[in-house]
Amino acid sequence: MTNFSLDSSPSVVLELTLRLKIRDVMTTQLITAEKKDSLRHIQQLMKVNRITGVPIVEGKRLVGLISVDDIIQALDGGFIEEACEGRMSRQLIVLEDDMPLSLGISYFEKYHFGRFPVLNKDSELVGIVSSRDILTGLLVEMNKEMEQLEEKLSPQKEVGTTIYSREFSLHKFDFEHAGTASGTIKMELKEKGLDPKTLRRVAVASYEMEMNLIVHSLGGTLKVTHMPRQTVLEARDVGPGIEDLEKALTEGWSTANDWIRSLGFGAGMGLPNIKRVSDDFHIESEVGKGTLVRSVIRHPELGGEV
Amino acid sequence: MNLQQIQTQLGCEVLAGGSLQGANIEHVCACDMMSDVLVVEKDNLLLVTSLTTEQVVRTADIVGAHGVLITNGKQPLEKAVQLAKQLNIPLLRTRLSTFEACVQIGKLLNL
Repeated sequence: MTNFSLDSSPSVVLELTLRLKIRDVMTTQLITAEKKDSLRHIQQLMKVNRITGVPIVEGKRLVGLISVDDIIQALDGGFIEEACEGRMSRQLIVLEDDMPLSLGISYFEKYHFGRFPVLNKDSELVGIVSSRDILTGLLVEMNKEMEQLEEKLSPQKEVGTTIYSREFSLHKFDFEHAGTASGTIKMELKEKGLDPKTLRRVAVASYEMEMNLIVHSLGGTLKVTHMPRQTVLEARDVGPGIEDLEKALTEGWSTANDWIRSLGFGAGMGLPNIKRVSDDFHIESEVGKGTLVRSVIRHPELGGEV
Repeated sequence: MNLQQIQTQLGCEVLAGGSLQGANIEHVCACDMMSDVLVVEKDNLLLVTSLTTEQVVRTADIVGAHGVLITNGKQPLEKAVQLAKQLNIPLLRTRLSTFEACVQIGKLLNL
């Protein structure tokens, strides 16, 4: 288990742990079970989802927790087929979603559990937080801080000034509206006076992102942020995540089915295309969680090669 | 070469769009995979395809193509026609196959 120590952390991190809430870092996509479920079933849940603890719930109420240790004991003691009700931990240490992150970290130091269930004010289970979630949350936040710092230090301050920003919600297999987000982005950036060549790159990237969200994801958002020297596109979805990023970035590699191909998509050029038109390209993906694709396109006519 | 010449040479039906004479064509992309179209970085482009969905028109708009030619005598979906009208992108239809259409256009381009 990861050990945190607040005593030796730099003050920036310390400040972050006070400012961030548990809800900012917790996992909200919960894998839960019910009291009548067998320990075998829970073992399978852990295996499939690669997790080490499963909250036991009645509706939204948390009634217990089965950890991987409980499963090991069940296998050892030969009661793996039993319902979890008799074996689950009932005396649970929980966190509340609006507690500061610093308190969560101190719990990890104090109790040595791998995870803590998170309840809201109405005592409903709303999330679970592991040491990994905390680390990820802190890193994401530190990244933001760094970016803000860089912006402040940069002599070309206007890079950070947003002229136009918009977010579109996209749904799985919603071919009826496919392309309307990119169409809107293209039209509106044209009105903002973006030169045709750059506009085309932005349009291609946003269209591929939009189609990816519709064809491959369980749904997500496409966000465009237009600044004087660059346009940033971000596609964020809620799953299923990409198993092999290297393959997904290979031209011609596709997981699309015949139906999608019959609509003219699934050529295996989506991500490579986005990368091709981007000055900066970033992708991160976790199976079961989701994917984030970010494309930065600079505006050369405005001296965008910063 | 402009779209008017293509329309005459191939005997195309015009389903939507503005001035055919004003649509200058220098390059052709014949393709049924829209992602492959998005790779093309040419100006004065004509998209030749046998797909009939509105994504064809959408893709043409994204790459700034000057027109779309649907082959094999296929009737594009009503939504595709509407979108072409809305975006002012000429939408043509020919009975020729994609290959035959390309051969004819190639002649016009002196290829």
